[in-house]
Amino acid sequence: MKILVCLKQVPHQDARLDVNGDGTWIKEDGIKFEINSYDTYALEEALRIKDAGEAEVVVASIGPDRVTQALRTALGMGADRAVHVNDAACQGSDALGIAKTLAAIAKEESPDLILMGLMSDDGNASAVPPMVAELVGMPSATAVVATERSEGNIRVERELEGGAVEVVDVPTPCLLAVQSGLNQVRYASLKGIMAAKKKPLDVKTAADLGVADAVGTAGAKVKIEKIYQPLRGEGAEILSGSTDEIVSSLMNKIKELGLL
Amino acid sequence: MIEWSESQQMIRDVVRRFMEEEVAPHVEALEHGDLPPYDILRKLYATFGMDEMARARFAKQIAREKRGDTERAEKGADGDLAAKADQAASTLIPIIELCRYCPGMVTAMGVSVGLAAGAILSKGTTEQKERFGLELLTLEKIGAWAITEPGSGSDAFGGMRASARREGDEFVLNGSKTFITNGPFADTTVFICKLEEPDVDVRDRKILNFVLDRGLPGFEQSGPLRKMGMHSSPTGELFLSDVRVGMDRLLGGEAALNKSGGGRESAKSTFQTERSGVAAMALGIVERCLELSVKYARERVQFGHPIGEYQLIQEKLARMEVARMNLQNLVFRTIELTAHGQTMTFAEASAMKLYAARAAVEVAMEAVQVYGGNGYMSEYVVEQLARDSKVLQIYAGTDEIQIRAIAKDLLAGG
Ligand SMILES: Cc1cc2nc3c(=O)[nH]c(=O)nc-3n(C[C@H](O)[C@H](O)[C@H](O)COP(=O)(O)OP(=O)(O)OC[C@H]3O[C@@H](n4cnc5c(N)ncnc54)[C@H](O)[C@@H]3O)c2cc1C
Repeated sequence: MKILVCLKQVPHQDARLDVNGDGTWIKEDGIKFEINSYDTYALEEALRIKDAGEAEVVVASIGPDRVTQALRTALGMGADRAVHVNDAACQGSDALGIAKTLAAIAKEESPDLILMGLMSDDGNASAVPPMVAELVGMPSATAVVATERSEGNIRVERELEGGAVEVVDVPTPCLLAVQSGLNQVRYASLKGIMAAKKKPLDVKTAADLGVADAVGTAGAKVKIEKIYQPLRGEGAEILSGSTDEIVSSLMNKIKELGLL
Repeated sequence: MIEWSESQQMIRDVVRRFMEEEVAPHVEALEHGDLPPYDILRKLYATFGMDEMARARFAKQIAREKRGDTERAEKGADGDLAAKADQAASTLIPIIELCRYCPGMVTAMGVSVGLAAGAILSKGTTEQKERFGLELLTLEKIGAWAITEPGSGSDAFGGMRASARREGDEFVLNGSKTFITNGPFADTTVFICKLEEPDVDVRDRKILNFVLDRGLPGFEQSGPLRKMGMHSSPTGELFLSDVRVGMDRLLGGEAALNKSGGGRESAKSTFQTERSGVAAMALGIVERCLELSVKYARERVQFGHPIGEYQLIQEKLARMEVARMNLQNLVFRTIELTAHGQTMTFAEASAMKLYAARAAVEVAMEAVQVYGGNGYMSEYVVEQLARDSKVLQIYAGTDEIQIRAIAKDLLAGG
C-alpha cells in the first residue's frame, strides 16, 4: 500500500506576523516555520497505517528551501520518502495551481490513499484537498475525525456543524482531508531524525511535473488584493497587560455587563 | 562546528516541544510539590527512543567485550564525522532543553545515567554491567552515586570514612553519605568507600566501589533534604551499618583489590564527564534567562520608556549574550571532540566547568535584576533559575577546586 501525504510549511504559531511592503502577504524573513498543524494529523494517520502493516509513506510539499526542514521532520517521524517541489515559479500560486502540482505528483506516485489536512493554518481556505481529489479522479471526504479501514473501503466519520457526526463509506483509492485532533501526533525520535538525512528527498520543478503554466502569480486565477490588520471598530477595546491582568479585567467587564 | 546542523536543530525543536507540552505544565508540582522527576524523564526517554538508543549502544559494547575487543568501535573506519557529531549532540540537546525549565531534572537524570551507570560501565565486570548497568541507562531503574560524606566533600578521598571490611569472600560496609542526588529514591546505588587495611595510612587506602540495591539489610536511604534550589532533583542521605555484600557487588570484582593507584584515577574520569555536562546545563539556563530578559526589557515600561532603552539594562542583556555565545562555543567544542573520539584534558574540563557555572549564576542573577520585584516572585521563573544555577558552582567540584586543578596543571607544565 502506498500513502501520499501532502503537507504545507506555515509560519510557526508563535511567530510574529507583519504584512509585507506591497500588502499582499506577510513578511517571511526571520520568522520560524513549522508543519501546518492539520497536516501533522494526516501524517500521523499515515504512519499509523504503516505501523500496522505494509505501507510506504511518501510526503510531498511545495515551497522554497526552508521546506526541506518540514520534509525532513516528516521523514524523521517515519515517512519513507519525500518529494519537494522547489521552484521560484511556484511562488504566488493560487489553490488551483497548488492542487494541480500536487495532483501531478499523485499521478506519478499513484497512491492508494492521499491524506491531507483539512485546511492550512495560514491560508484557511480548505480549497486544495477537494481540488486534488477532483484532478486525480478520486472520491474524497473532508473534516475526517475517525477512520476504519476494510478491503477496498474506508469508513470515515466527518465532523458536521453543531457537533453532529456523519458516517460515509469512501471506496479506495481515495483522498481524505483530516480534522485536527484525529489522533495524537507522535514526536520524531532522535534516531529517526538522524536517519532522516539518509532517506530519499526528490527535488522537482513545476516544469518537471508539467504544470509550469498553472503555477505562480502568472498561472493564478485568484489574486490577493490586500492583506491588512482589521481596524479597531466602534466600541472595541483592546486589553493590555500580562495574561493574568487581561484575564482579570476581562472577568470584571463580563461581570459589569451582568453576563455572569 | 560553527553552528547547529539541520538535524540538530530538528532535534532541538522536537525536544523543546516536548518540554513545553510535558514538562512546563508540571513545573509547579516538580519544584514546589512532591512530584519526583522520574516518570517524566522516562517519558522523555521513551518518546525520543533514548532508551532504545542506550540499549543498542550497550549491546554493542557488551558484544565487543565478549569478543575481547578493546578498541572502541567509533574509532573504526567509519569516518562520518557529521553523524558522530549529531550523535554527541543528541545527548546534550535534551540537557540544554530541560534546563530551560527544570535544571533539577538534569541533575537527577545525569546522576543516574551519567554517574551511577557511568561508574558501573567503566569499572564493572561484563557480568556486573549486564546485571546493574543496562536498567540504569534506560532509566527503568534510578541510580545514585555516593562519594560525599558529612566530613568529606572537596577532599573526597582524603577525608572519606566509609569503609569496607573484608571477611572471606564477603565485605561488611559501613559509613554515611550525604547530599546524594536520587538518594531517597534510588533502586541502585554506587557506594564509594575505603578498604580497611590496618597497615596502611587511612589517606592512602584503596578506594572501592560497591553496587547496592534498595532494601539490602543495614542500608537506609533518607527522605529528601530541603534545599535552596534544584527542587526537582531529590537529594538525600545514606546510612550503612554492617551491610554484607559479596564479591559480585564490588565493581571490577577481585581485580579491583589489586589495582594500582588505589582506584582514585578512575573516579577522576567520572568527574570529567560530569564537568562537560555542566556547560550544556549552563547554556540552557542562560538561553532561557536571556530570552525572558529581552522580552521583559521590551515590554516593561518605566519613566515612560521600555526599560530596554536604558543603557544599564542594555549592558546586562549584552553580557548575557556574551555568556550565551561563549557557552554555545564550549558545547560545540565538546561535541566536536566527541565526534573525533577525543576528550578534554582534566584541566580543560575544569576550566570549562568553572566558566560555565559562574556564567550561569551571573546571568540568572542579572535576569532577576532585570525583572525587578517580579524577578523575585516565583511566577516569573528567573528566581528558580537563579537558585538552581548556584549549585553549579558547588557540585561536581566547587569553583575553588576547579581553580586548583587548572592552576596545578599550569604550574606543572615545563
Ligand atoms: C544539590 C547537590 C547534589 C549533590 N549530589 C551529589 C551526589 O549525587 N553524590 C555525591 O557524592 N555528592 C553530591 N553532592 C556533594 C557535592 O559534590 C559536594 O557538596 C561538593 O563536592 C563540596 O563539598 P562540601 O559540600 O563538603 O564542601 P567543602 O569541601 O567543605 O567546601 C567548603 C568550601 O571550602 C572550599 N574549599 C575546600 N577545599 C578547598 C581548598 N583546598 N582550597 C580552597 N577552597 C577550598 C570549597 O570550595 C567551599 O567553598 C551534591 C551536592 C549538592 C549541593
